[in-house]
Amino acid sequence: MTSSQAKSAIFSSIRENLAKSKPLDVRHQEMIPVPVLVSSGLNLLETFQGSLEQVGAKCTFVEGESEAGHRLREIIKDLSASEILVSDSELVHRIVNAAELDALEDASRDELFAMEVGVTSAQWAIAETGTLVLESGSERHRLVSLVPPVHVCIIRASSIRQSMAEILELVNPDADPTITFITGASRTSDIELTLAIGVHGPGELYVIVIKDQ
Amino acid sequence: MSTTHATAEIFDRNAREALADPVLHGALRNLADSFVIRRRNAIASIDDWEGLRERARSIKDETLLHLDEYLERFTDNATKAGATIHWARDGKEACEIVLGLVRAKNADMVVKAKSMAGEEIHLNEALEAAGIEAVETDLGEWIIQLAGETPSHIVVPAIHKTKQQIADLFVEKVGIEKTDNVDVLTQTARTILRQKFGEARVGISGVNFGVAETGTILILENEGNIRLTTSLTETHIAIMGIEKVIPKFADLDVFLKLLPRSGTGQRLTAYQSLITGVKNNTDDLGPDELHIVMLDNGRSRMLAHPLTRQSLACIRCGACLNACPVYQQVGGHAYGSVYPGPIGAVITPQLFGLSKAKQLPYASSLCGACREVCPVKIDIPALLLHLRSEIADGSPSGNETPTRKLGESLAFRMYSRMWSRSGTYSLSMRAARLMQRFVARDGKIGKVGGMLAVLIPPLGAWTAWRDAPVVAPKSFREMWREKNK
Repeated sequence: MTSSQAKSAIFSSIRENLAKSKPLDVRHQEMIPVPVLVSSGLNLLETFQGSLEQVGAKCTFVEGESEAGHRLREIIKDLSASEILVSDSELVHRIVNAAELDALEDASRDELFAMEVGVTSAQWAIAETGTLVLESGSERHRLVSLVPPVHVCIIRASSIRQSMAEILELVNPDADPTITFITGASRTSDIELTLAIGVHGPGELYVIVIKDQ
Repeated sequence: MSTTHATAEIFDRNAREALADPVLHGALRNLADSFVIRRRNAIASIDDWEGLRERARSIKDETLLHLDEYLERFTDNATKAGATIHWARDGKEACEIVLGLVRAKNADMVVKAKSMAGEEIHLNEALEAAGIEAVETDLGEWIIQLAGETPSHIVVPAIHKTKQQIADLFVEKVGIEKTDNVDVLTQTARTILRQKFGEARVGISGVNFGVAETGTILILENEGNIRLTTSLTETHIAIMGIEKVIPKFADLDVFLKLLPRSGTGQRLTAYQSLITGVKNNTDDLGPDELHIVMLDNGRSRMLAHPLTRQSLACIRCGACLNACPVYQQVGGHAYGSVYPGPIGAVITPQLFGLSKAKQLPYASSLCGACREVCPVKIDIPALLLHLRSEIADGSPSGNETPTRKLGESLAFRMYSRMWSRSGTYSLSMRAARLMQRFVARDGKIGKVGGMLAVLIPPLGAWTAWRDAPVVAPKSFREMWREKNK
């Protein structure tokens, strides 16, 4: 049987069975609208930082890009890392240059697995959950934010929103084939429900927030 | 352990074996202690949890009532974004489609992210039979694959194993030094599986939600293996049950609030990948091909009744397993199905046939804990009763002769007659008070056997495994009458 024959068989089964059910169905209840919270802006940064700390990520606020460069240098130095992978984000490139760090943008598969730190930006963030939102159309983030054991993410304070509902209004899946939400480091509880960090993705997540000037 | 290959037909035997397994009990104790508490704390962060559940259910109901339209919209939009859609009426067809795609890529190994639909259709066996190595990359799934077992939980597949057993397994299968350090075990898996990720060109995953409005598939996880499976490979094959579709992109908010809280007690899992077709720029990272295999495998049949239809609202969070006093005691393998626990007892007979899982609807005390925690408000106890009555009546979906005995039917008809009139009801109570003297001990009725069990049919069965309460010396009506004399 071809896939299109299977499709029509499945669709007739769906329609036949729904028709059987019809006499038994009670009128379908109305959709209940949910209130959408709008970012107040007041406690957004504090909430974001608190949420990040709850999931074990480290969050620093900086004034401007040059301070962001200092902070990035500090993080890399503390980790004694030398193999740095960056995304194609212009913001990231400016900051890495300002910090006078050697970094690789296009890594081969072998190089990729040897990288120690991946640096990306994020297009949006959610304060309520400490979530970073990365859009593939704006930034090639998929492997940089995933393969190296440490992920550093640089984000502007103005891109932080309160809730997931707001973010789902802002992102556009038509323009961005992959949108990735990241909340903390890679984790698992598969062995005796004991938390273990860094199972497949990064074990550490640093977030540098550039405050608006 | 003999329960590994247990089948759904013999739940009673599987359960008795599981109850006699102290190691299993040790492993399962963690469930109630941590998942149940974590969930309770996580839902406290939502102001209107009940309202959210209602909304989720109404979204699912709306989708299921118009499933053909939403599927059409989802597949159209996914196709427009560059995905290829395949349709499979059953597991065999789905496996054939996947095999064809893997062969077309000349791949002899695939990396797999945890997929319950993949488990349901026994995809690993089909791949292995075709000489293709299927590597499970979720830590729990990899552990049970090494052990040659099946998952015993929807969310934490290796919950039945202790750290000690897992360490022994790693010593035997991958040659590490004996350890009881969970971090060492986890890093061992990371190192070995990274090698596989480096080589693999085809990745297979499941789907949590498919958005009709945009053609997007959303996959949730904590480990990062799904992201690796769907980012490092050239071809991504996603297996999606036809009930996974939801109407709008904005609806994701509701389910992203409910699923992680209900499943693992997190406000959000570490990663969500929202994948809409394939990359639109050759420089971009990620697979060149996305194949979505739409799987029916008995699902469309469940649309035929509003009661059974609600089983399709399930978002596979596992909360009902964690809350279930039966699951907590016997674990997942006793159910003999890829879907264990209360929701498994409901889905398994419907997917694979009532005759193959006749005991599962009885694997419940109908306490209702599952209904209370279900994020989409599935009335599991009502479904279990519905399936029990289908078994008793020998209904068409059961393909079986009725199990209800003539004597039993007569007895229940008699009870119903007697107890719907007050005169005969009090008469029966008076008779019971008289009769129970022979069987009551310390204010309860223990195991009743012999003549009495034959004379009063349900009494023998009822008291075989539990005590029945005695009838009070005086009824409330009698006390009331005396008081007002």
